[in-house]
Amino acid sequence: MEAPVQIAASLNPHASAAPLMETPMVEIDRLSLWYGAKQALRDVSMSVPKHRVTAYIGPSGCGKSTLLRCLNRMNDLVDGVRTTGTIRIGGSDIGDPGRDVTELRKRVGMVFQKSNPFPKSIYENIAYGPRILGVKHRADLDGIVERSLRSAALWEEVQDRLGDSALGLSGGQQQRLCIGRAIAVEPDVLLMDEPCSALDPIATAKIEELMLELKNSYTIVIVTHNMQQAARVSDYTGFMLLGELVEFGVTRALFTNPRDKRTEDYITGRFG
Amino acid sequence: MAINTGALRGGRPEAPARPLAASRSRTARRILLDRWAARLVVLGGVLIIASILAILVVIVGEVWPLFRPAAAERLSASLVGGPPAPGDAVGVDEYREIAYTITSDSLQFTPLRVGGRYPAIPVPGLEGARITAVGESARGRHLLGTSDGRVVELDVKFQVEFKDGKRVLTPQQEFGAPVALDPERKRAIVRLAGVVTGSGPIVVAQVGPRDLVMQTVVEKKALIGAPRREASLQALPLEVEGEITAFRLDGRGDDLILGTSHGQLVRYDLRDKTNPRPADRSAVSTAALTLVQFLNGDRTVVVGDGAGAVSTWQLLPSPGGGAPRLTRIHEFERHGAPVVAASPSRRDKGFVTADAAGGLHLNYGTSGATLLRLADSGGLRGATFAPKADGIVTVDEGGRLSHWAVHNPHPEITLATVFAPVWYEGYAQPEYVWQSTGGTDDFEAKFSLTPLVYGTLKGTFYALLFAVPLALLAALYVSEFMHPSVKAYVKPVVEIMAALPSVVLGFLAGLWLAPLVERVVPGLFLLPLVETACILTALLLWRLLPLRLRQWVRPGTEVFLLVPVVIAGAWLAFGLGGLVERALLGGDYRGWLLSALGLTFDQRNSLVVGVAMGFAVIPIIFTIAEDSLANVPQHLRAGSLALGATRWQTALRIVLPTASPGIFSAIMIGFGRAVGETMIVLMATGNTPVMDTNIFSGFRALSANVAVELPEAPEGGSLFRVLFLAAFLLFCLTFAVNTVAELVRLRLRRKYRYL
Repeated sequence: MEAPVQIAASLNPHASAAPLMETPMVEIDRLSLWYGAKQALRDVSMSVPKHRVTAYIGPSGCGKSTLLRCLNRMNDLVDGVRTTGTIRIGGSDIGDPGRDVTELRKRVGMVFQKSNPFPKSIYENIAYGPRILGVKHRADLDGIVERSLRSAALWEEVQDRLGDSALGLSGGQQQRLCIGRAIAVEPDVLLMDEPCSALDPIATAKIEELMLELKNSYTIVIVTHNMQQAARVSDYTGFMLLGELVEFGVTRALFTNPRDKRTEDYITGRFG
Repeated sequence: MAINTGALRGGRPEAPARPLAASRSRTARRILLDRWAARLVVLGGVLIIASILAILVVIVGEVWPLFRPAAAERLSASLVGGPPAPGDAVGVDEYREIAYTITSDSLQFTPLRVGGRYPAIPVPGLEGARITAVGESARGRHLLGTSDGRVVELDVKFQVEFKDGKRVLTPQQEFGAPVALDPERKRAIVRLAGVVTGSGPIVVAQVGPRDLVMQTVVEKKALIGAPRREASLQALPLEVEGEITAFRLDGRGDDLILGTSHGQLVRYDLRDKTNPRPADRSAVSTAALTLVQFLNGDRTVVVGDGAGAVSTWQLLPSPGGGAPRLTRIHEFERHGAPVVAASPSRRDKGFVTADAAGGLHLNYGTSGATLLRLADSGGLRGATFAPKADGIVTVDEGGRLSHWAVHNPHPEITLATVFAPVWYEGYAQPEYVWQSTGGTDDFEAKFSLTPLVYGTLKGTFYALLFAVPLALLAALYVSEFMHPSVKAYVKPVVEIMAALPSVVLGFLAGLWLAPLVERVVPGLFLLPLVETACILTALLLWRLLPLRLRQWVRPGTEVFLLVPVVIAGAWLAFGLGGLVERALLGGDYRGWLLSALGLTFDQRNSLVVGVAMGFAVIPIIFTIAEDSLANVPQHLRAGSLALGATRWQTALRIVLPTASPGIFSAIMIGFGRAVGETMIVLMATGNTPVMDTNIFSGFRALSANVAVELPEAPEGGSLFRVLFLAAFLLFCLTFAVNTVAELVRLRLRRKYRYL
């Protein structure tokens, strides 16, 4: 495990230093979640600032992925899930049962741990979301595909083989394709669930670079196991343990000067 | 896998390999087990492939004799007393041991298997006249015409005895008293034909180039004493040009077919014996007709001419209606010389034709094929096909007998007769017919497999039409929308349905479903529409319900709410069906079908089979399709849902295409099952081998046909072998379907291999 000094050295130099001045995009208030009888989130409250990268770190099973999946209600698919508390995105409560969940998911895109391109062509992968939204004209779709692939830094590599199967791309390219697919529907928030855990360092570097690029237009929430990654790309970091948000704050502050003993133990490698 | 211990030991000396001694025995055992397990698996696979190939070999072995070409060899040639008399002057017994010829004054028996000959038997009562014409009226019954205008009947029989397990044949002959057909006894009889009908014998004799006389004998049974015979003699009017060169009476005595030197074929209608008249005439050839002969059954006429052409003709209704006319059916391979004799087989529609130059052709009347060409000695005068159609005896002008053995057990079967339309006797045009028995020996069995293949495909089509949408939609619902706890019950229950014996399904379909369906056909056709409307209405109402009420139902279990809706829909559909039948179909849908659409309604029809066989196929398609849908990686669904797609969009646009290889396999395996299904089609179709697309008529499938007919097929016979051919077809059909399914599946799987 790394020493805190090393982490501090790799800190994101662009990270903002004044948390209280940010506009909140996502506000989580006293969120608890149970899988059946097992409680996975305990009374989590926090807010995610707009156009920033927010990272959740913590050991396996601490609930950071669960928290992420609450933001686009992907947990609804799991049987026996029960939640209390509220989540507001852009000011509106997403937990409202009358609310159309598909509408929410169009506003909150997601990139998964394992790249999951559809078994279709590269073009069709990107066009899938817009088609769902009702975009029909080929010219409109062409524009969206190019723009999304450029945003995902993939255009140069695939522009002359858009009709090829997306399954033929490399792992890193597939993951960037998934990012492109997510931003093709122009969401407000982009959730990333350990997006680089299956990638080699070069592909990881590209994605991290991309995240810094994307945060100008999107609010990014990322879950990562890799503390260096969190330190490199995020402006804010939350440390979770056993379903509890132990500490949340500006990344530099959290890594260099953790307030909580448990945070310090974790980032100095005493457990995890 | 063997571990090379030497290589392990040969590592760097400072880092010796871990000592293997402790685990060596265990490793050896593991290697041994591994090796044997691999061998066992290979053995199992090889055995399966070998047994399938063995089945194929057995089937092909049974089918192959059908298509083996005919063969013949000349066994012997022997000289008999003298030249044969003109006409049907040669015959043979059914074991081909003794042949006989009729010469100008005697009957001569000749043994065919041993040397020597019997003494000639002079024809009694000739009074110095010669025999100038011979006609055969039935097997072994000959009419001998003399140079002084009289006719003598001759009956040749062979008495068979078994002495010490050996067959002994004794030829017997019986001559009748001569009867004068030319009262003045001046004119010689040139040609002669006779037949014994139910009302009495008829004899027609040619006594001059254009002169025919007919003698009819009417036997009247008196209450007391011997039956009275009233013979009448009359001359037949000849209304064509040229001379009479050949004629023959049919077995019923209704028609006299006559050939002229100008190549015309004339039919006399003899049904009114007091007024025989020419009914129709056809131009056959430019050469003189040298031969007229009936095939077995007396429906088909073989006509041969002086140029060597052979054709068959049948009396068929005229195309525009009206009196039946002789119609040309087949043209056979030409002889190189004038055709002099033709002899029909007594058991099928085969016949032998002989030409003056010694050419012998073995033809088959139904298929129009010439099966065999043989070269006999020149100057042939007569030929006879042995009673069992396994030999030919010919006689030439020098009185030399030739004996041929013919090996041709399945003359009626060619690829064309099995698959192409065949012009059978009594049919107005070539047709596909399966009729494995003709009722009497006069009518041949008809072995067209085409209606059976058609029936198989028709049943399969209707079964899949019913099963595929239901099974696939059910699989989609169960895998994508149903609550897992409900699915845990539904899936095994449907799978148990697959274990339902098909004989039970067939029984239910034939005896319970068929009469039920018959009552509610209009309702049945309204059912899909009405059900769809009901379900959509129910869904709309559901959406209108307040959210709080809707939340009472667990997601994925809403389907139970639809059960009463579906039942109500069925009730409504059948009620509406009755109304529609009364209001629009005149109260009787069967009458309406016949008058408006021209469709007949059988109780056991394709609709019933489609439903019953659909039930047999649904579990298979459902299970395989559901498995392949459920095996679509969850992260693809998550990816789609996270983009804001609904579950329905996800299922349709992501899950279904990804699972398509499995779904394709499911349909193909269902197809294979439906093709091979036997009991349901056997019990619920009526087994009528007809070819039409009508959903309300039955059919006969290949599999059911084998099941129905095989127990009654004599081993080694044509029917037996044709049934094996049907089995072979079934084998090929399922093999082809499965191969295509596998190829497509592999292709699709390659497409998705990175998932």
